[in-house]
Amino acid sequence: MKITPTDLGLAARVVHVSKSFGIGQGAVVALSDVSIGIRRGQFTAIMGPSGSGKSTLMHIMAGLDTPTSGEAWLGDTQITALDDTALTRLRRRRIGFVFQSFNLVPTLSARDNILLPFELDGRTPTADEQGWINTLCDTLRITDRLTHRPHELSGGQQQRVAIARALATRPDLVFADEPTGNLDSRTGREVLALLAEACSKFGQSIAMVTHDPVAASYADRVLILADGKVVHELGPSTPEQISGYMLAMDRAS
Amino acid sequence: MRMRLGDYTASILVTMLSSAFGVLLLQGTSVLTTIISGDDIAQKESVQVALSLVSVIFFAIAVYVGGVVTANTVGTVIAGRTRVIALYRLVGASASSLRRAVAADGLLVGVVGSVLGLAVASILTPVSVSIGVATDAIPSARYDLFPVILAVPVLAVVLVTWLASWVGSRRILEVTPIQAGAAAVEPSREDIASHPVRNAGAFILIGVGVLLLAGGIALGMVNMLGVLVAMLGGILSFTGVVLGAPLFLPAILRSTGRMLGSGPAAKVAAANAVRNPARSTRATIGVVIGVTLVTMFAVASQGYVDMIMKGREAYPADYQGIDETLAVTIGVFAVLFGFSALIAAVGMVNNLSLSVLQRTREIGLLRALGFTRTQIRRMILAESVQMTVAAVGFGLVLGILYGWAGAQSLLGSILGGGFMLPSVPWLVVLGAIVAAAALSTAASIAPSRRATRISPVAALAVE
Ligand SMILES: Nc1ncnc2c1ncn2[C@@H]1O[C@H](COP(=O)(O)OP(=O)(O)OP(=O)(O)O)[C@@H](O)[C@H]1O
Ligand SMILES: [Mg+2]
Repeated sequence: MKITPTDLGLAARVVHVSKSFGIGQGAVVALSDVSIGIRRGQFTAIMGPSGSGKSTLMHIMAGLDTPTSGEAWLGDTQITALDDTALTRLRRRRIGFVFQSFNLVPTLSARDNILLPFELDGRTPTADEQGWINTLCDTLRITDRLTHRPHELSGGQQQRVAIARALATRPDLVFADEPTGNLDSRTGREVLALLAEACSKFGQSIAMVTHDPVAASYADRVLILADGKVVHELGPSTPEQISGYMLAMDRAS
Repeated sequence: MRMRLGDYTASILVTMLSSAFGVLLLQGTSVLTTIISGDDIAQKESVQVALSLVSVIFFAIAVYVGGVVTANTVGTVIAGRTRVIALYRLVGASASSLRRAVAADGLLVGVVGSVLGLAVASILTPVSVSIGVATDAIPSARYDLFPVILAVPVLAVVLVTWLASWVGSRRILEVTPIQAGAAAVEPSREDIASHPVRNAGAFILIGVGVLLLAGGIALGMVNMLGVLVAMLGGILSFTGVVLGAPLFLPAILRSTGRMLGSGPAAKVAAANAVRNPARSTRATIGVVIGVTLVTMFAVASQGYVDMIMKGREAYPADYQGIDETLAVTIGVFAVLFGFSALIAAVGMVNNLSLSVLQRTREIGLLRALGFTRTQIRRMILAESVQMTVAAVGFGLVLGILYGWAGAQSLLGSILGGGFMLPSVPWLVVLGAIVAAAALSTAASIAPSRRATRISPVAALAVE
């Protein structure tokens, strides 16, 4: 019998993935031979210095970009083998995103942005889903800004709307690229607590890229990237432990 | 700040067309006048006056269309470069210096395009005249093909292009350095509604324009020069329409948007067009101009023919030999409106594709969220259908009004003329509608293919 990623309890994984941009002299190797799994129901943080390949890894895992070599899986689906339409459908139904910036459709109000994934699927949220969306908006403190368009919101508010949208459909996996980068520390902590709670209470799987040891301390697991490779993995850790490790890594290089 | 050369290809083409058109018109008028003075008809003098008037009018319209198109293009380019402009402002460039730089580019475009146009006409006319003489289509005579007055259209086109890029670049003044950090946003409908000076200006222009149109028609009952008054009225009122369009276009777009259906692509498309009045206006105004022009010319030529026929019925003796003149002038009319329609079409295609390309990033985001390529294309197509329908309807109304006013004010005073209701050659108008629809569809589909071909990540990284 073949063991599938789902049997292993993995929401997603990449196997021997490499990614380089450009060819010849000017080529940049963003990822070299990375193999990792994101566990189901867990909050995984991905850390590493700027340019270490975090965003690139996230894009490949989410089917937004294709690796130069290697495979990427979402559950039992090998996404590196899918055509564009299948990939799109998969993103729509099974993946949520929060990008580093430019997250919202500028012409749509905050509410319409949050409802867009449902709209794309040609349906309206069920009563249960609507309840979840309301909880999300309340926790993220955006309920009274839902009729506004993105440019009328602060950077942090925009980021929170994007988080609500990513979590609204309860996708198999949510990718978040520095979701708290734009937030003050209090709102940041609340957002992180919400993400952690979504994992622990509702079994949501989340992969979050971050530079912030405090943010990473909310995660169940911390993967550390350097120069396109996974160089270390930590279990639940305190901010001090994480920054201690990062500092040691800095000194070693 | 310099714009990319690619942004200007269409503007140079438009400028070239306008200037070539002006030069060709003058040369054509000169040839026609020579031919007609060879004949002996009672209405010779007034036909001559009418011809000169007509060429002035057609040229003014072409230059005006070219100007609106250029201003529109500059506006679109600048809207797409808001962040870059904001960055320049952030590092200390003043808004007015940036604007001057854009206007200077406009002057350059004007000079290059205008000279190219002169060159094209200088080759085209002598060749056509020799062919005409050789085939006995026109009598052999001494035609003055290069009167000094040719400098007028060439210079006029340069000036108008310069002015148009100055007007079109006014948006630069509204860009604040803060926008460097934010996603570029178009003003909302509320922002636009709260532009009291501009909106008042639009209404005043429309009001004064309509009064002048009426005055021109009244004056036209006694003198051909009424057409000049009417033309001024037409230009003023149309300018008012262009200025005020962001104000009332959303309402029209909302009603045309309803017919798109309710799929996600259609819904987002409908929302896009309505929530982004400035962008929709820039994209739509080209179609409005095109349809207005063709309809106007069709209605005007029909009015011209009808009026002459009416006169001939009443005074057959005075209209002897008019048939030949009529045939020639209608032929010339056809070419004339072809030219202006071409200018409008170039502007329209360029604007639509620019505005789709500028949305690469938004398209990347939608793709990341789960819009398939097909859905994106359907969305763009739906937007363009929605805008085209609104624009065609709008253009039809304006075109019929202007065309009728033109014919009436020019010919109301001729022998046996008088007052006539507009008659619309529906076949020509239908052709224009089909052409506008086909062009605007093609102009938005081609770039949407380009924008969806790249990966969502690459699209998101695009400025
Ligand atoms: N489209 C591209 N073309 C060329 N090089 C690229 C491209 N995208 C990323 N890179 C390079 O790949 C490497 C990894 O980039 P990536 O965006 O994944 O880094 P990151 O870890 O997310 O950094 P940051 O923390 O600054 O966001 C970098 O060296 C970057 O310059
Ligand atoms: Mg990154």
